[in-house]
Amino acid sequence: MEKKIGCYICKGCGIGDNLDVGALESVARKDQKIPVVRNHEFLCGSEGLELIRKDMESEGVNALVIAGCSPRAKVDEFRLGAALMDRVNLREQVLWVQPVAEGDDTAEEDRQMAAVDYLAMGCVKVKKMDAPIPFEDPGFSKDILVVGGGVAGLTAAKNIADTGYKVVLVEKSDDLGGMLSRMHKVSPTKPPYKDPEENPIAGLIAAVKGNGAIKIHTGATIKKTAGAPGLFDITIVKGGKESTERVGAIVVATGFGLYDAGKLPAQLGHGSSPDVITSLQFEEMAKAGKIVRPSDGQPAKRVAFSLCAGQRSTEHLEYCSGACCVYSLKQALYVKEQYADASTYLIYQEVRTPGQMEDFYRKVQDEGGVFIKGDVTQVAKGAGGGLSVEVNDKLLRGKEKLEVDLLVLAVGMTPSLDTVDPNKASPVGAGEFDYTKSVLNLDYRQGPSLPELKWGFPDSHFICFPYETRRTGIYVAGPARRPMGIAASVSDATGAALKAIQVVESVARGAAVHPRAGDLSYPSFRKEGCTQCKRCTEECPFGAINEDDKGNPLFNPTRCRRCGTCMGACPQKIISFANYSVDMIGSMLKEVEVPEEDEEKPRILIFACENDAYPAMDQMAQNRAKISPYVRVIPLRCMGSMNLVWVADAMSSGYDGVLLMGCRHGDQYQCHNVRGSALAEIRLSKVSETLDRLQLESARVRMVEVNIMDADKLPEVINGFVDDIMEFDPNPYKAF
Amino acid sequence: MADGKATGQTILVVGGGLTGLTAAVESAEVGHHVILLEKEPQLGGRVSQHNKYFPKLCSPSCGLEINYQRIRNNPRITVHTLAEVTKIEGQAGNYRVSVRKAPRFVSDKCTACGDCSRACSTEVEDPFNLGTAKAKAIRNAHAFAFPSHYFMDPGFAGSEEARKLVEVCPVGAIELDQQAETLELSVGSIVWATGWKPYDAEKIRPYGFGRHANVTTNMRFERLASPFGPTQGKLVRPSDGKEVRKVAFVQCAGSRDHNYLAFCSRICCLASMKQATYVREQYPDSEVTIYYIDLRAMDRYEAFLKKVEADSQIRWTKSKPARIDEDPATKDPVVVGEDTLTGVRYAERYDLVVLATGMEPMSSSAKPPADGVTQDAYGFVVNDGGPVIACGCSAGPVDVASSVQTGTAAALKAIQTALKAGGR
Amino acid sequence: MAYDLSFAREVYKNSEMGHWIKMCMQCGVCAGSCPLGPHWEHSPRQLFQMVRAGKKEEVLKSSSMWMCTSCYNCIVRCPRHLPITHIVHGLARYAMEQGMANPQQPTHRFASKVFWENIVATGRVGEAGLTMKLYFLDGLGAGIRMGLEMKDVALGMVKTGRLNPIPFRGKIKGYAGFQAMLQKAAAIESKHKEAKA
Repeated sequence: MEKKIGCYICKGCGIGDNLDVGALESVARKDQKIPVVRNHEFLCGSEGLELIRKDMESEGVNALVIAGCSPRAKVDEFRLGAALMDRVNLREQVLWVQPVAEGDDTAEEDRQMAAVDYLAMGCVKVKKMDAPIPFEDPGFSKDILVVGGGVAGLTAAKNIADTGYKVVLVEKSDDLGGMLSRMHKVSPTKPPYKDPEENPIAGLIAAVKGNGAIKIHTGATIKKTAGAPGLFDITIVKGGKESTERVGAIVVATGFGLYDAGKLPAQLGHGSSPDVITSLQFEEMAKAGKIVRPSDGQPAKRVAFSLCAGQRSTEHLEYCSGACCVYSLKQALYVKEQYADASTYLIYQEVRTPGQMEDFYRKVQDEGGVFIKGDVTQVAKGAGGGLSVEVNDKLLRGKEKLEVDLLVLAVGMTPSLDTVDPNKASPVGAGEFDYTKSVLNLDYRQGPSLPELKWGFPDSHFICFPYETRRTGIYVAGPARRPMGIAASVSDATGAALKAIQVVESVARGAAVHPRAGDLSYPSFRKEGCTQCKRCTEECPFGAINEDDKGNPLFNPTRCRRCGTCMGACPQKIISFANYSVDMIGSMLKEVEVPEEDEEKPRILIFACENDAYPAMDQMAQNRAKISPYVRVIPLRCMGSMNLVWVADAMSSGYDGVLLMGCRHGDQYQCHNVRGSALAEIRLSKVSETLDRLQLESARVRMVEVNIMDADKLPEVINGFVDDIMEFDPNPYKAF
Repeated sequence: MADGKATGQTILVVGGGLTGLTAAVESAEVGHHVILLEKEPQLGGRVSQHNKYFPKLCSPSCGLEINYQRIRNNPRITVHTLAEVTKIEGQAGNYRVSVRKAPRFVSDKCTACGDCSRACSTEVEDPFNLGTAKAKAIRNAHAFAFPSHYFMDPGFAGSEEARKLVEVCPVGAIELDQQAETLELSVGSIVWATGWKPYDAEKIRPYGFGRHANVTTNMRFERLASPFGPTQGKLVRPSDGKEVRKVAFVQCAGSRDHNYLAFCSRICCLASMKQATYVREQYPDSEVTIYYIDLRAMDRYEAFLKKVEADSQIRWTKSKPARIDEDPATKDPVVVGEDTLTGVRYAERYDLVVLATGMEPMSSSAKPPADGVTQDAYGFVVNDGGPVIACGCSAGPVDVASSVQTGTAAALKAIQTALKAGGR
Repeated sequence: MAYDLSFAREVYKNSEMGHWIKMCMQCGVCAGSCPLGPHWEHSPRQLFQMVRAGKKEEVLKSSSMWMCTSCYNCIVRCPRHLPITHIVHGLARYAMEQGMANPQQPTHRFASKVFWENIVATGRVGEAGLTMKLYFLDGLGAGIRMGLEMKDVALGMVKTGRLNPIPFRGKIKGYAGFQAMLQKAAAIESKHKEAKA
């Protein structure tokens, strides 16, 4: 369909009173050759919107340039069904930050110039955009793979099936049930939160086995996970035989391992007596029946629990497993259930019974459980065949002894998934990978494992988005994601099931998932221009791009999160989206009219991350901060999409400086696309070569971290940069 | 965000804090129609009042902005603010819900230009700043408030000045004759995400909040630390504006205590550690003491505890303080108690004491108005197949990540329930 | 010393309100709340942990539970609702029953001898006599010294009507009933003792 652009300039909110709207219209009409150009007193009002709608119906306008307020405002009103639209932010980016004193003609002229430039950029942007055509593939599957048949995996499988989707369940052992099937009871989940509850695993196994929508592979592993969301091809190995399944998304619920008790510090006594056991061994004993001393089968009425065994320790597990305090309470009650005269001792560092589990803590105390703050310092043979446990009691401030029948060590949870530290070199080319060591064996250019957050867990880095991993369509749930207990795993798996369903539905619509949820664009490239430099395949934060044998990128649009990092990485400028491209931004920046050197009006370009820096600038405008009239702002999807050619273009077009505003990067990164701002910084470090070649000072280009709450600091950041740039001579390329 | 038809498969989400926002966007992005209700004029709930999150020390607005974008770009989500549920009837897959919508006195013509607020001379109590500051009677709740439509204090709407402001608005958005209205919604399932409120610290008499000038609460301290708060983020004490160089945090102020809230509010330990970093960052020579019973830095938050512990200017005293006195001359608060690890009784003087007050579920007072809802002794809603699906702090005291996680899980349960009406 | 629950169980069963001790979470509020806190050998919290640790000798011989003035601050503030005042009195009494209370502990001496004899004799406390007895517990010299030291306080109290200098003579109205009550209480107590034994 032929693109027909309509440009609508709002005169409300003071725009009409302060800017020469007639002149702006003529820029759109004459310079930009926009066929339909109109203005309105109050464009977002019903009359104004009707004006646009009418043009769309009768004039065939199908692409809109709306000049008025910020694109973050009045979004509902301007959702008019046009496939292409740009919102030119005259209000927040020009009017509100460039106050003009009565009679100050220069300032007024500067402000009008800014408005002209922004309008021109908006027109060019829409000219350079095409409507994205959603990615489709006839092979899309909405089935979902669940890896792991423990409580988290079974919960995910059952929930997915209950929502109307088919499930392929792969469990490596011969039976379903996982760790929970080895346990006796579970901790309370319902008020009054006082008594252990029946183990739900048998019922869950039966429900899953009885559900026709769930195809179960036990005794099976995954040899290869190829493809992408909607198009995953899973090679399942069972008894030496291979089969494949096509699925749309994956929930990984492989549970946890237990820290090797053999590695625990000697003072905890593991190995010194059969009566020193792990918490899992204790569960198995309680499930089997009698709680006894393994050494002689005598009733174990006196039981000590050593919490944090090998946890919160720099030599062993650095983290807290988050569940041991509560399950040890439950285990103390097992003893009490069997022996009315039981003596139970919980040796703790901090009692961690959050929320309503405080009631469970009190219940165990009420049942006579004794809590001792301290550490086990020695385990020896006790009188009468028991153990003598020495404790450094921090509240009684001294060594105390406990005579017990059993010592239960609450050992921590270890990760169950293979992960790679994303900050280390890509394992590609590091030799043949042993597929038996990987859960998923991702056929991804960035390696077969999931990126790690910390301590071997592939947890999300995001507080606000705990399911976001760096592998689209693959959601990790339960203690495979981060250490957690049973109730939390059930909830976590339910949420992961939702995310998996959301991905297959989004893929079917050709839409992206978080953070650019609903975006229909995706990258494509011009193969003949490719030099096989592999930067795109290496830098994609989501591992979306594979390579063919020759090193050409193979895009997986459904893995893509549309951040544009590939586009920013490409030195050949051949990667683009239908509505976002190197050419589009390059053309926009060139549309700004750079004043002659002798006018002494520098031009400074700001690339702003649209997720954080741009909203912060809107806020700055809301505060009516005064900003230099010499800056021109272009929002980017993510700093990762910043292509260095724009910096070179800006310099050769006569801009005097370029400021990049990206999110915080490093360990505590805030970039929603993980690596965007970090990559921009790395690229920028190489820009000095370009500037040297142009014989320009490298300080003309700077990158700053901007937080969304930095509205109060931004005027200083921006105006300070402008001041610094004005110290330099004007860019000599202005003349060309 | 747009008008969605309330069909049998529509999901109603009650509560527009981070949990409810998440439940709404996550189910809408699957493809379902969602109606999101918020009783305040704008979304964001408690997290929007926070300066930073632990453990990353990043701003809540960052994630909220993404969620607001997801709402703006999703025509399947309808948002009603100033809206409270008054009645729920029916059964799974087919509920009839009555909603009372209070007047905003500003229509959605509002362009958030701010002219009215600048012209307004009347100031009122500002619940967003928890009593630490006053606010204009017509305003946006805060910098990143969404929807970004101004609202007017109901007590102000009948005033002379309000009538004058009608003329100030360039687009005629101020409508003083707006009345409360009742919406009757027909929905397939209901997610309950009404969150929490800070426990009323005045009830903890021995700690003197409300009587001692320099005893504050953790939520007020968040506002104090915020660059958009009453002091633009400068940490000074209320009595005399003095910079706070010596600060105490008192844990379990109202939590784990049968006199107040018997449960553990889970997040306060980590919140105080975070707030200790605010003090330490702003004043390098400052000293902080954290009084605690048990340090509850669950699972990988352990790393945050370690990080804060590495600062030798932050001291830890295992003790629940018995009381807080005030020096009448200096207004210095004095914390009194027993250090349980040494047995030593202390009486330590500070510039400011921050009470780590706990979370009280909103649902303890504002119960879901439906038959068959189970609540525990504390007022948290129990998920036992009743008419509402509780998540976030409606179900138990949880941190931000768990709020989002349980909100996501609730979204699936809501979809399953709504689908029961399928074909009807 | 070994953690051994036999003493704790004994206390839970036999000492008044003793079973509450198991609910203590060692927060320290009681100790901080006690106006005499710094003068205690062991704070209530410490006593409770010692009970749980089986430190019978140390607990029952401790002077701490004799220091309680029944101000009830600790009860009001205890986050676990432990009736600390009563527990502490219970422990004192239990120590006495067990014959382990230090007979030289001043409160013990005062309460079990001076106060008791004074009140039983007439049916009400004779303030002047009680004070005199207390001061002269440790002999004539100590009594005179103490009396001189406290004379201003005493005069002040007399002036404000807080201390009646004239010893109470005779008996209260219904003394016979009072006696009967005491006898009944003694009977109940010995029955309790038998039951415990």
